[in-house]
Amino acid sequence: MVAKKLKIEHIISRLRLSRLKLQIFQVVGFLFLAALGFVPTVASAANFTASLDRDTIALGEQATLSLTFEGGQPANLSMPQVSGLQMNQVGNSSQTTSDFNGHSSFVTTVLVAVIPRQTGEFTIPALTADVNGQQLSTAPLKLTVLKADAPPAAAVDSGNEIAFMKLSLPDKKIYVGQVLTAQLQVCLRDDVQNFANFQFTGQPADGFTINKMIQGQNRRAQIGNRTYTVIPLTFALTAMKSGALSLGPFTASAVVVLPSQNEGNDPFAQMGIRSPFFSGEQKQVTLATEIVKAECLPLPAENVPADFNGAVGDYQLTATVGPTNLAVGDPVTVRVQISGRGALDAIQLPDQSALKNFKVFPPTAKTEIADQLGLEGRKTFEEIVTPQNSDVRAWPPFSFSFFNPDDGQYHTLTQAAVPLAVHSAGASVMPTIAANKNSTAENQTPQDILPIKENLGTLETKSIPLIAQPEFLALQSLPVIAFLAAFIWRKRTDNLANNPRLRRQRAVTQLVSDGLIDLKIFAAENKSNEFFAMLFRLLQEQLGERLDCPATSITEADVDRRLIILGASPATLELLRELFQLCNQARYAPIQTRQELAAVAAKFKKAVAELQCLNP
Amino acid sequence: MKKLSAILLALIFAGNIFAADVSIDFSTANKLYAEGKFTDAANVYGQILGSSAASPNLLFNYGNAEFKSGNLGKAIAAFRRAELLAPRDSEIRANLAFVRNQVQGATVRESFWQNWLGNLSLNEWTIFAAIAFWLTFLLLAAKQLRPALAAKLKSAIWIFAALTIFSGTILGVQAVNHFSKQTAVVIFAQATARSGPFDDAQNAFAVHDGAELSVLDRRDDWVQVADGSGKIGWLQNRLVEILPGA
Repeated sequence: MVAKKLKIEHIISRLRLSRLKLQIFQVVGFLFLAALGFVPTVASAANFTASLDRDTIALGEQATLSLTFEGGQPANLSMPQVSGLQMNQVGNSSQTTSDFNGHSSFVTTVLVAVIPRQTGEFTIPALTADVNGQQLSTAPLKLTVLKADAPPAAAVDSGNEIAFMKLSLPDKKIYVGQVLTAQLQVCLRDDVQNFANFQFTGQPADGFTINKMIQGQNRRAQIGNRTYTVIPLTFALTAMKSGALSLGPFTASAVVVLPSQNEGNDPFAQMGIRSPFFSGEQKQVTLATEIVKAECLPLPAENVPADFNGAVGDYQLTATVGPTNLAVGDPVTVRVQISGRGALDAIQLPDQSALKNFKVFPPTAKTEIADQLGLEGRKTFEEIVTPQNSDVRAWPPFSFSFFNPDDGQYHTLTQAAVPLAVHSAGASVMPTIAANKNSTAENQTPQDILPIKENLGTLETKSIPLIAQPEFLALQSLPVIAFLAAFIWRKRTDNLANNPRLRRQRAVTQLVSDGLIDLKIFAAENKSNEFFAMLFRLLQEQLGERLDCPATSITEADVDRRLIILGASPATLELLRELFQLCNQARYAPIQTRQELAAVAAKFKKAVAELQCLNP
Repeated sequence: MKKLSAILLALIFAGNIFAADVSIDFSTANKLYAEGKFTDAANVYGQILGSSAASPNLLFNYGNAEFKSGNLGKAIAAFRRAELLAPRDSEIRANLAFVRNQVQGATVRESFWQNWLGNLSLNEWTIFAAIAFWLTFLLLAAKQLRPALAAKLKSAIWIFAALTIFSGTILGVQAVNHFSKQTAVVIFAQATARSGPFDDAQNAFAVHDGAELSVLDRRDDWVQVADGSGKIGWLQNRLVEILPGA
């Protein structure tokens, strides 16, 4: 644990050292560049200005706000919130260096797109920012946003308009709650080569709710004295109130590509082929429609069915009830499907909570749309009810009323009563599904939420997921380290196994190391014969290993003959000769004192150390 | 030493007292629920959750109480939080499915694959991937230490390496879902998404209580959302509850 801690502290201190070195390097680098004149000096006071490219624009256009910071990098700049204006920074800030009277200074420019959401006069308040440690602010700016108007009919007929929009409503009675379609036509003059970035900037509707919009097939039409490409856009509307309603003016912006001025001289253009040399001129256009007014009628107050709950359209009704053979308290699924044309989302099931002898659970609803505009489709309600006693004989008749705006009358659709066979709860009667036998959904759908749990369970505090915890991630390095260690160990072991010389060197080193201990013991015990026998053997083993020959074949003659080739020093050779001679003398004059034997052991140790330094 | 022991004992007892308080509050809320006082029960469950501790059962009961109080969105958010803690709890899944069936209008639902991946929590996927990773490298190390076992270990190494890649990929997907994708659950009966993050921006579309929406962006008090049909709009933060993606 302590070792691990020390290791971690060591790593941290090394990182700190690296960071310190980096900082020193940065400072030195900066001073060096400053000395060379590459770093501009702060010669003038910091400055912060804001300007708009235009002070008046039409709804659908956008203005550009330029924020210029001179003499340093801006900090703590906050975008103002102006109600009715949306501000988005455009790209990254650009930086330039300007020279004035021999002094250089940084100029940072930030561009902000100002997109109006409504007409009116707006004031962009003073902006503040920290530049070079100084808090600076700009003057407030005014921006006027004008309404985009539809082009006059004369301009359209003359063919002067590159593009324009027309909005139209169907010419028939409109009732509150009715869903109808309106058409918007985007007309592009025949010389428009490309049309892109079409975006609505305003879709005001007083008394209407605008729903889905789809694009129809493009067509060409002669308008005035020019041919236009007409892009029809159809959208669904819901009338929300009676009285005078209005739609528009719809406003939009788009980018069109028109023939270039120079394209007239191009032979391809003269032949009616798009020129490969001229790519045309891009132009942003603002489009607007007229206001379209309509009169919306309230629903008739006469002959209103009792169960009418606001459905407007033209509908059909189907309903299924099942199972019909069940016990008291068993769930019955009532599935009501209303299909047709109208505001399907707004359709609600008539309130049935007051039904006697049944407990009614809140219904679920699912809407399936059959067309792109969402005008036609079907809405399916599923309701779980449970009979409360065995007196129940039938599910009561069900009715649904709606107002049809096409004939201006109310209609009521009814579903006959469905007989039910309800047994007491004790009777074990298998329920059978009499109606809608093909459906299995009711068996899969839970009929009520499951009850609450009595036990609290294990409390868990909010914590960071394991994958985001540095300790956990660091722990994952352990198996990799274990594998690397095993891999290195294996490589070293294999290397030793494939190198007998190295193996012998290690074995002899170990033998000599052990032998030196034995020599000391023999010397201490004054066992001269054993001492010199061991010494002779160790000399043979060590020299045999160095000379790469069998140890038993080593004699004193090899010292002079072969060790010289290896580069042994004369002192080493002399020492070895002396040791061999002492071994030979010990055979006939073995008596030696302990001190003398210890001295011989020390000489052997020295000789071995010198031998091991030789490069065989 | 005595001081340290006293501090440790105090901490242990404080934890027990906290757990005991929570348990009492939980029982009180259960009792209120049984009496049909669902709103009161939801308030008590909510207070316990506000103390930064949560359990799947607590969130489950809170979801039930909110549903019975008519708050579909809050119920869905609670069941989804419970599902993150106990992803294989069939009762949580059943109640979540039931409440979702009551929601009207377009909503974003998990795909089959997201549902399948959701069978394990992010931490469970992390542990699964870590175990496979450890076993792969430990078997590789064993192969180096005992070359004689190499033939026997070969198939096991391949299996665990494949499991590591598989679980690591899924973990990556789940981590991206958790950290970069969020879901907004509408907690108001009716809310209108706007075309921009302004109070006076044009209406984009209407959403109903309980609608689950993908979070695309957040700006100040506004969150940009997309519903299941591809409509995009901005909603005020107070109208939604934000949940992590996985």
